[in-house]
Amino acid sequence: MPSGISTPTLAHTVEWHDVTVAYGRRPVLWNIELSVSAPGIFGIIGPNGAGKSTLLKAALGLVPLAGGSVRLFGRPLAAVRDRIGYVPQRETVDWDFPVSVMDVVLMGTYARLGWFRRPGPEEHESARAALERVGLADLADRQIGRLSGGQQQRVFLARALAQAADLYFLDEPMAGVDVRSQERIFRVLDELRRDGRLVIVVHHDLRTAAEWFDGVALVDMRLVAAGPTEAVLTPENLRRTYAGRLDVLDEIGAAVERGGRTP
Amino acid sequence: MSGLAYNTLVVAAAVASVGFAAGVVGSFGVLRRRALVGDAASHATLAGVVSAFLVTGRRDLPTLLAGAFVAALAGLGILVAIRRFTRTRDDAATAIVLGVSFGLGIVLLSGLSARGVAGAGGLEHFLMGHTAALTAGDAVTLAGVSAAVVLVVWLFLKEATLVSFDPAFAAASGWPVPLLDYALVALVAVMVVVGLPAAGAVLVTALVVIPPVAARQWTERVAPMLLLAGAIGLVAALGGVAASAAVPRLPTGPTIVLTAAALFAVSFFFAPERGWFARRRIDRDVALRLGSGTLGPDEDRADVG
Repeated sequence: MPSGISTPTLAHTVEWHDVTVAYGRRPVLWNIELSVSAPGIFGIIGPNGAGKSTLLKAALGLVPLAGGSVRLFGRPLAAVRDRIGYVPQRETVDWDFPVSVMDVVLMGTYARLGWFRRPGPEEHESARAALERVGLADLADRQIGRLSGGQQQRVFLARALAQAADLYFLDEPMAGVDVRSQERIFRVLDELRRDGRLVIVVHHDLRTAAEWFDGVALVDMRLVAAGPTEAVLTPENLRRTYAGRLDVLDEIGAAVERGGRTP
Repeated sequence: MSGLAYNTLVVAAAVASVGFAAGVVGSFGVLRRRALVGDAASHATLAGVVSAFLVTGRRDLPTLLAGAFVAALAGLGILVAIRRFTRTRDDAATAIVLGVSFGLGIVLLSGLSARGVAGAGGLEHFLMGHTAALTAGDAVTLAGVSAAVVLVVWLFLKEATLVSFDPAFAAASGWPVPLLDYALVALVAVMVVVGLPAAGAVLVTALVVIPPVAARQWTERVAPMLLLAGAIGLVAALGGVAASAAVPRLPTGPTIVLTAAALFAVSFFFAPERGWFARRRIDRDVALRLGSGTLGPDEDRADVG
């Protein structure tokens, strides 16, 4: 587990207890037992179809659990939803939707507002501050389809910042994102960590993992290994996670051993 | 002013309000990519209209529309059940519900006219729409329901926009997404039903789809899109009423749809930025700038694409 002061309640920030998830008859996650504590940036890593996103969705209540339970801040999800921020995968929405950058970021304040109330000056203020943090304040009025992939991802991150959460779940925030946006996104995540927050990131790029994450979990339908990054990202663990997909692996494993630098 | 002209004016105003509300509600159907749901609901309404007459023996508009609404909900319920309990995909399930329920409606209607059931005359107007037969009382009912529907959309504008844009984020932040989804579909069903007398079971769905698609061409924001879709629906509805007032045997539905289609064509070609001509101009401009080297492969290329 990433080091750091644990939450005041003594419970871990996120705990998956024996979580099993199935889509129809096809199981995608088996008996996941994993706890992560704030603060830190924690990566969930594994091959395509390993159930990484499903692990996030299980914590967020977006998929039904076939078995097990999830606790956040030591409590059930419904009691702590307002402390959780979420960045879904970018491809899950229609970017041709008629909303501006500001409109999307304001959606992060909707849960606070509740039914019927519209965003006021206070909400606009926090949305603008979130846009400043991701470096998009000057594009606030632009329709979201007229942004690059990296800018779109930063809009989603700004919306999560507007949720003013203590725990953030990000689903593949670096996928299809230019280097400038990646650096900007990582800088924001680093600030959240310094503020004592926990950020959990589904990630596919092993080469950057060692550099960014305090701790990681390797997942391939089952939990292969979890703990501090350097202890977990061993060639042996990677081989077990990516079994049958070995061609690229030796190379990547070697890179990880050298300290996370790209070969 | 003669009584007849007064009645025509009241009916025209009511049908215009139906067109407006259909455009507003339909916008969320289109944005949520549920445009075909209204189609299934609308084809189911015919069986509901005929059944309501058979069960109650009455043929006043509220009774028939109540039957139509029950049938629309039943059709949508069956659609949800097919999707949930079989592996049938959305489009196939919609086609099944649409075809079967419409077939049932036609059989019931033909049965009535073949047996010459007394008082059944006029039900066939629900097939293609026929506003000339509406009374001032009917008009008040239609306008009242339309106004209520627009009010509900305005109240839930924030929630409906959120759920239509990003249902996963909405669910993760605690909004009851299935409930809001069903509410939006139910509002579409209501508009399909009150649009029935004007546009008919076959074509009313166009009234909730064409105006939003046309409106999207002109604007990049939700609220203006709703207003514009409403305005286009209103004009289309008035066009239909005017045409059938001028040509006595012309059904209203087809003329409403054709008016809406004409407005869509204008929007498709001439809208600034999203219109066909504007896009051609932008493409040419980009090609020129690429050729002259003023447009490099930087992050901002999304501006022009």
